[in-house]
Amino acid sequence: MSEDMGLIVKTMARATIPLIGIFGAYVIAHGHITPGGGFQGGATIAGAGVLFLIAFGLREAEEHYNHKLYSVLEGLGGLTFLGASMLGLSVAFFYNVLWHKGGVFAGEPGTLLSAGYLPIMNLAVGLKVFTGLVSAMMAISLYRRWKE
Amino acid sequence: MKRTFGALALLFILGVLLIVAHPNYGLKFGLGGKEWQGYRYTDQYYIEHGIEEVGGTNIVTDIVFDYRGYDTIGEATVLFTAIAGAVALLRRWREDYE
Amino acid sequence: MIPLQFITAFLMLFMGFYAFLYKRNLLKLILALDVIDSGIHLLLISFGYRLEDGTLPTAPIYTGYETLKGTPMVGPIPQALVLTSIVIGVCVLALATALTINAYRHYGSLDINKLRRLRG
Repeated sequence: MSEDMGLIVKTMARATIPLIGIFGAYVIAHGHITPGGGFQGGATIAGAGVLFLIAFGLREAEEHYNHKLYSVLEGLGGLTFLGASMLGLSVAFFYNVLWHKGGVFAGEPGTLLSAGYLPIMNLAVGLKVFTGLVSAMMAISLYRRWKE
Repeated sequence: MKRTFGALALLFILGVLLIVAHPNYGLKFGLGGKEWQGYRYTDQYYIEHGIEEVGGTNIVTDIVFDYRGYDTIGEATVLFTAIAGAVALLRRWREDYE
Repeated sequence: MIPLQFITAFLMLFMGFYAFLYKRNLLKLILALDVIDSGIHLLLISFGYRLEDGTLPTAPIYTGYETLKGTPMVGPIPQALVLTSIVIGVCVLALATALTINAYRHYGSLDINKLRRLRG
């Protein structure tokens, strides 16, 4: 696992990792218009992270990974999701106050800035799923059990 | 002993299949027309009133995040707990520090 | 006649249960858990279909806002529940893999007939 995988695989990985990242961001951001959403887009971007770990070896991936930043981002995503559900607490617990009262997120149904707190929740859940899956993969592959 | 147990498990699962999925006395596969209005009125309410109450044109996403958002909070908690437990199990132990 | 979706889901359930009962390697048991989960999800989604006389039902998404007002649509509630269940399946697999790695470190083999000593 410590060596990389040859010149052909590394060149193809350099070409396709940004494209997978852009496609995953599109699936997350248009979650309330087209099929997709938070969980699906987060799993797609985690696929790009795992491709980086496979194609470039463990030694290269360990230099670009700091576990404190990923753990802070995962907690931040969960707290944003919980905070967005408490905005309309004066009426009910999950009340969609940004859509009924007007503001930035109250456009016409079918456009990008339309459905209340749905885009905020999609971004929070996508960030949480991506950082969680990548940090679990790095914890499994960095585990040393033999003294060599 | 072990082979009879496996044969009994196979017969049990196939027997449950034959009873549950029978079109006459069991779960119905594709409801339509009058039966859809009788048995699945919740689905019909979400399809009709989904856009003017929530505002998103994707009906599945606004069931997951607005009509049944409490289940999504529980699922986010389970994901966080499982990833934290898996990372905490794979740390260094006290007895093998170099 | 029984529809084809149910036969496929029950075949996947049977293969998952057979592998869970008769194999001895720990990694094969973890894969069998995943196959059982996939069979259950296929069974749940196929309960939401809808057979009309004239037209075929479409997916529950209004792309153009005014064109799809009265056409029949597939039920969206089972798809929302299966989405939650897929994520919980991934969490169970992550914890099972972490526990398998620790068990291999302590006992030296992945055979479940050899994990018998209770040690502190």
